[in-house]
This record gives sequence, structure tokens and C-alpha cells, in this order.
Amino acid sequence: MTWTDEDLVARSRGGDVESFNQLILRWERPIYALAYRVIGREEDARDICQETFLRAFRALPGFKGQAKFSSWLYRIALNLCRDWVRRQRRAPLVEVPQGVDALDLAAQGKPTESIEDLVSRRELSEAVAEAMALLPQEQRTAIILKEYHGMTFQEIAELQGCPLSTVKTRLYQGLTVLRRRLEKNGLAPAFGHVKNAPFSHEEAKRV
Amino acid sequence: MSTTFRCGDHTALVTYLYDECERAERDAIGAHFAVCPACAAEMSALESTRIQLASWSPPDAELGFAITRAPARPPSWLSMSRWAWFAQPLPAWAQVAAAAAIFAAGLSLGIARGTMRPAPDAVAQDTRSGSQGARPDGATGAALGALEQRLRNEIAELRASAPMRSAAPAAAPAVEGQLLARVRALIDESERRQQLELALRTAQILRDFDSQRRVDLDQIQRSFGQFEGLTGAEVREQRQMLNYLMRVSQQAR
Repeated sequence: MTWTDEDLVARSRGGDVESFNQLILRWERPIYALAYRVIGREEDARDICQETFLRAFRALPGFKGQAKFSSWLYRIALNLCRDWVRRQRRAPLVEVPQGVDALDLAAQGKPTESIEDLVSRRELSEAVAEAMALLPQEQRTAIILKEYHGMTFQEIAELQGCPLSTVKTRLYQGLTVLRRRLEKNGLAPAFGHVKNAPFSHEEAKRV
Repeated sequence: MSTTFRCGDHTALVTYLYDECERAERDAIGAHFAVCPACAAEMSALESTRIQLASWSPPDAELGFAITRAPARPPSWLSMSRWAWFAQPLPAWAQVAAAAAIFAAGLSLGIARGTMRPAPDAVAQDTRSGSQGARPDGATGAALGALEQRLRNEIAELRASAPMRSAAPAAAPAVEGQLLARVRALIDESERRQQLELALRTAQILRDFDSQRRVDLDQIQRSFGQFEGLTGAEVREQRQMLNYLMRVSQQAR
């Protein structure tokens, strides 16, 4: 028998760690995907994913089921992503020593998953990642939650703490900027009906 | 929601795009597209952008997080483990502890060797002299030498008492029996000593083997730690390459 999230949360609150581990198994992929798309770094996204579940487990006694468990998880993960972005902004830039070619230095280094490193590639996925990385944080998050996690406008508004109309505006503006950037990069728009994007939470789990 | 659509209403277009509007509104917007090529083109462009967005997938990551809690510890001792405990690289303190344990084992072995001298005989002398390679041969040789010397002494005594034997033939069987008994005793003593030597050597070899095995195990464990780091990087590179190939092939299709 398959337990619902609510069942597993109740059992976890009763001290059953294995039930919580089942919730982790169920939600770690979507949370990792969310963190990766928001911050653009594989390793850090994995850390954020792990931290999300650790915090959720610790805060479980205070979770009274006022929101869906998944929404609660998404909120924790998004807060962690926001903190990560703030830390990155504060981090001082490393100056390249004189007489050293920064491009050579970058080529020598280990491959990283930063979105900026992928700019030179011309694949569609990278182009999308690049274009998304340049969007303002709120627009990017709204698009990620809508496109890849199938959330409703209402759910996004609750997560982002803004009115419904703001969510729609963010989505519209973000999509418009993305379209222009992708066209500028020489990527012809794809015509046809949207088939790949998930439309519900359940479908989002497979992302 | 209104059932009329104002041309250029972006929020309404977004609701239509994501199919979150009521049926009446949807119909109104659809009807507008039929008469307004600009709005229809706008919607088509937004839809095609969504298709492009769908191609962006995160790289595969090894997740498999789990909450583990040691039963004897307070609830604050929570940890997340991605690997089984034996697959994890040893922490620095554990490696130091292992090294210290091996050193201590070696030290105690050395002390034990120093104190386990059984008797001040040829074997012990050889151990003290430190010529470990030549020691077993030397020990056996010395023991045999001692045995030979004793036998020679016995024979010399016998020869000296030979005239007595002719003078008193009745005493000869008694003397021979005595000699035989002494020879047997000497042989037994030699055998016992050799057995003792063999036992000592076996024990030492076993200890040497065991300590070497521990050193090897420690080295292997450390190497594993290093390899794990290396293979992790390699796997990541390979995964990136695979992702790249997947994207290229998807694009080609």
C-alpha cells in the first residue's frame, strides 16, 4: 500500500524515521531539481537538497499540516537557495594574478557546473540555462516553479509571498525576456504544442 | 474573471497559456486570437518558448539521502548519510588513531621479543646478537655442537673405562644401558629445544605477518579514500559528457 504524504508525515511525527526517509525518497529529486535550476550549481544544489530535508526533519514537530508537505519543503528549499544567492553576492571576487591568462586558468581548472561556464556552448539546454540565469531572481523562481514543478499561480503566490497578479506578471515578463534572448542566440522558436512541461505536482515528481 | 478579453492583457494571456482560466474566459481569448494576429502571434511565441524551456534538465545527481539516528544518542545527534559507513573515507583523527595503534603494536612486539628470551642458551644468545637471518641455523648448529661435545665426552669416558669393562665384564651391560639412557636424554633435550625454537619462530612470523597485514590494510584504506575522490571527479566528467551527448542527440532529432 502506498502511503500519502500526510500519512508519512504523521508517522514521522510519531518518531518513525523510516517514514520520513520515504518522504525523502519521494521528494529529493524535485527538490534537487528546484535547487539546481535556481542556483545553477550541481554540488551546492545537492547540499541544499540535503539541508532542506535535515531542516524539515528537525522542524517536523512544528509542522501542523497547515500547508501541503511538498509546499512546506519547497519553501524551506527556496529559503536556502535565497540565502545561498545572498552569500554568493557577498563573496569577494578572486583576482587573477598578473601575467596569468584567466581563460587558460579556467581551462586548467576542474569542470564546474556554474551556469556562466556553459555560456559558450550552443546547445539548447545550455542556452536556456544561460538565459534563465540572467533573469531577475523572482522571475526565474516563478518560471521554475511553474514550468518544472507544475505549481498553480496560487501556490507560487503563497511561496513567493506576493499577489496572484504579480506572479502572472513575473511569468509573462520572464518568458518574454527568455524568448528574446533565445532568439538572439540564433535559436529558432519551436512551434507546436507544449507536451514536455509537467502540469501537476505528481508529474513534477518525475522531473 | 471577466468573460471579455482586452487586447494586450498580458496577465490574461498568461492564464490562457498555462490553462488556468475559466472556460468562458478561455473561449473569449480564443475568439480574440481569430481576429487579432498580434495576440495570436504573441501566444504562439510564448508557447514555443515553453517548449524550449522543457529541454533544460538538471544533471543526474547521486542523492539517496536518509536520516540516520544512533539509538543511544540524544535527538540532536542527527546526521544524513549518502554512503554506507564502510565506503566513507576515514576522517583524519581515525587515520591518526590507526597509525598510533599500529605503532603501539609494533612497539609492544619489540618489547615482547626482548622479554621472551626463554633461557640463556644458544637460541637466546643468537636473538640478542641480532643476526636474525642466521639465527635458526646457528641455533641448531650450536645445539648439535653441544650434543656432539657431550657425546664425545661420554665416548672418552667409556674408552677410559674400557679396561675396567674387561676386568669386570658383568658391569658392561649396566654401563651401556646408562649410556643409552643418557644419549636418549640428550636427544630428547635437543628435540625439545628445537620444538621450542620452532614454536618461537612460528609465533614471530605470525606476529610479523599480522602487523604487516594491518599496515597494508591501512594503506589500502587510505588509497581507497584517494581513489574515491578521483573516481568521483571522473564520474562527474563522464556524466557531463553523457549529458552533453544526450542533448546533442536530442537536438539532432
